[in-house]
Amino acid sequence: MNRAQRADDTANPGKVTVLVGNPNVGKSVLFKNLTDRYVTVSNFPGTTVEIVEARASFDGHEVAVIDTPGINDLSQRSDDARVTRELLAKHDDATIIQVADARNLRRALLLTLQLADLKRPTVLVLNMADELEERGGQIDCARLSEILGVPVVMTVAPRNQGTRQLIEALPRAQPPSGSWLAAEPVNEYVGNRARLGQVNDILAETYSMSQPESPSLKVRLGFWAMHPVKGVGFLAVALLAVFWIVGLFGAGTLVDLLETGVFRQQVAPIAIQAVDAVLPFPHTHETESIPLGVSVPLSPVHELGIVTAQREVIVPAYQEPADISLSLRQQVWRFLHDLLVGEFGTITMALSYALAIVLPIVTTFFLVFSILEDSGYFSRMAIMVNRVFRIMGLNGKAVLPMILGLGCDTMATMTTRILETRKERIITTMLLALAIPCSAQLGVLLALMAALSPAGAIFWIGLLVAVIFAVGWLTSRLFPGQTSEFILEVPPMRRPHVKNVVAKTYARLNWYLKEVIPIFVIGTAILFLLERLGFLTVIARVGEPLVTGWLGLPAEITNAFLVGFMRRDFGAVYILDAAIGADPVLSPHQILVAMVTITLFMPCFANFLMIAKEQGVRVAWRMAGFIFPFAFLVGGAVNHLGEWLNT
Amino acid sequence: MAEYLNCPLCGFEFEKLDTLCAHGCPLGGSCNFVRCPSCQYEFLEHQRKVSWLHRLFGREEAQKPRLPEGIVPLRDLKRGEQARVICLGGDNGSRHNTLAVFGLVPEAEITLVQQLPACVVQVGETELAVDPAIAREILVERLA
Repeated sequence: MNRAQRADDTANPGKVTVLVGNPNVGKSVLFKNLTDRYVTVSNFPGTTVEIVEARASFDGHEVAVIDTPGINDLSQRSDDARVTRELLAKHDDATIIQVADARNLRRALLLTLQLADLKRPTVLVLNMADELEERGGQIDCARLSEILGVPVVMTVAPRNQGTRQLIEALPRAQPPSGSWLAAEPVNEYVGNRARLGQVNDILAETYSMSQPESPSLKVRLGFWAMHPVKGVGFLAVALLAVFWIVGLFGAGTLVDLLETGVFRQQVAPIAIQAVDAVLPFPHTHETESIPLGVSVPLSPVHELGIVTAQREVIVPAYQEPADISLSLRQQVWRFLHDLLVGEFGTITMALSYALAIVLPIVTTFFLVFSILEDSGYFSRMAIMVNRVFRIMGLNGKAVLPMILGLGCDTMATMTTRILETRKERIITTMLLALAIPCSAQLGVLLALMAALSPAGAIFWIGLLVAVIFAVGWLTSRLFPGQTSEFILEVPPMRRPHVKNVVAKTYARLNWYLKEVIPIFVIGTAILFLLERLGFLTVIARVGEPLVTGWLGLPAEITNAFLVGFMRRDFGAVYILDAAIGADPVLSPHQILVAMVTITLFMPCFANFLMIAKEQGVRVAWRMAGFIFPFAFLVGGAVNHLGEWLNT
Repeated sequence: MAEYLNCPLCGFEFEKLDTLCAHGCPLGGSCNFVRCPSCQYEFLEHQRKVSWLHRLFGREEAQKPRLPEGIVPLRDLKRGEQARVICLGGDNGSRHNTLAVFGLVPEAEITLVQQLPACVVQVGETELAVDPAIAREILVERLA
């Protein structure tokens, strides 16, 4: 989830400081405090997937600071621990800053004793000192420092407390005293058991905790969120809130405002006029009266109107005088004109689509996602869904990529790395590509759903859920390998920090826009060329029997599926155009068939590339080879079932 | 590592090396039968099923061990009960180590937070969720 490591940062040797610690103890926040460079911070264990490095200057000394994934021990087994081990081996002069959760000294000290075997200069940072105090715990830092033989510093990273003291303590760092293990243990487990015994002795001398009185509201909320009955209610409320904010407010209000109010009424006409001025050739643009209604949603069918405005503006469609033949230069200009502001134009289609439709939806989604993530709710959600996910050969931990998939499937495919076995990664990747609609597509699909009866909408959702389970179950049965065991730490519920949520949303958006906008532009340009060269009609004619015969849809929709190969939300927009308007081409039954088929398509070309990158080209082709025929199969089945029921 | 087989007829456990039924058997390597050295019963070493069919419809059998007085699987604890871990069960070293780094080792004292939908225990200051299947194998002793 992090930005990739920058090569030039590592080139320069010098003093190196490595942040090491258990997952979810605040290494990334501390890293930001030390270096002023932002990495994704969250309240879900395992968010730092890659190593991030930045330079910092402590009292005039240039230091390279490296953030590592959270580890619970230094064993060879987990990828994260191996990464950290290799990193420490590469920088053999590095100072280790071990970051610990002050409330969870036991586990931190277990890691300290493991790190002690490496004999590196170490500073122990007890982070979250405020939460320790809140719980009535106390740690004798001086005594702890004496026993371990390393400086011990208390910090509150989100408030930037203690960073100064940490920087001052760095030069005093030294290897932990003595040898902690009498003999080389037989295996890791035996070694860790022996270490835990020693940790208990240290804790007895340095740590005290007064019994908590009644649990606070936060703690109680945490319990409710994973309660078998209340937890389901909690889940329903959370999902409803997401639906309201993203589906209704983001995809409704904000999109109306930006798409109609800003782009179609203001930007597009200005762009068309500007292009016409620079590249003149004889033509007149059509004008259309575009209505704008901005309203705040109260429920899926009720809303509170704020603004309504209607403007007469020019649109990309134009007419050429029939009797004049264009000179070569004018033909070139017409080509460029169409490339920029034509019906498949970069400005009129790609940019307006990416910035006015996708951006608001994705922004609201990432915002909500960040809030949920920081509150610590996802771990509890993982507990709630664990049993259900077992059916699909996954465990509860897969909930994070699945929910993120509702934002962007491509990004979610990348985060499947947090899953432990290849089998789980493959299943999750497959389900993401097949049946989880991304937020861009969701927005369009929600608009389409408005044209359906409620029963149709429920059928669509039910079918998707059924497909997810059926395909997940089949894949898990057919794909050899093990599902990893569900052992998950439950972090305490925390109030999300506004700054952190905003920064995280921004970081995700930044990634999204950088990845997605070029694909939009290139995709639209390819589409434009295909249309110009006549390929679109050829492919449409070849695919027509499938679409008209098997799916029972009008021939024009072939284009939508064709575009769907590029981006499935693009394809959905085509269907939306055909479904809504003065004289809709599609009947509700056909809308449903088209919706089902386009939802099951692979989301976009970027997702295909990401699968190839993460799982290999062969897996990507196999998935594509399954997904596209499967989408048509299910779509056709829905069509024939519907027709059979009607007659 | 030697592979051990169990005779389905008499229950005798023996090393796989002892299973050659007769030297000079014309079937040679293509014979899938093994013979129990105790009762001479011949049986198929592996129940040969088409592997994907097996994965599709096969089910693993649950086994229930007999336990000494006062010791119960973690799964049987009630909400809020305190217990001491006796053993982590199973022979899965990586699981043992995963549990150990969270502080769940024999002798650790735990409080049960909930059983459903997944088993959540409090070990020291850590709340840890484990799959019910794992909780069934961890044995604990109830504390008064």
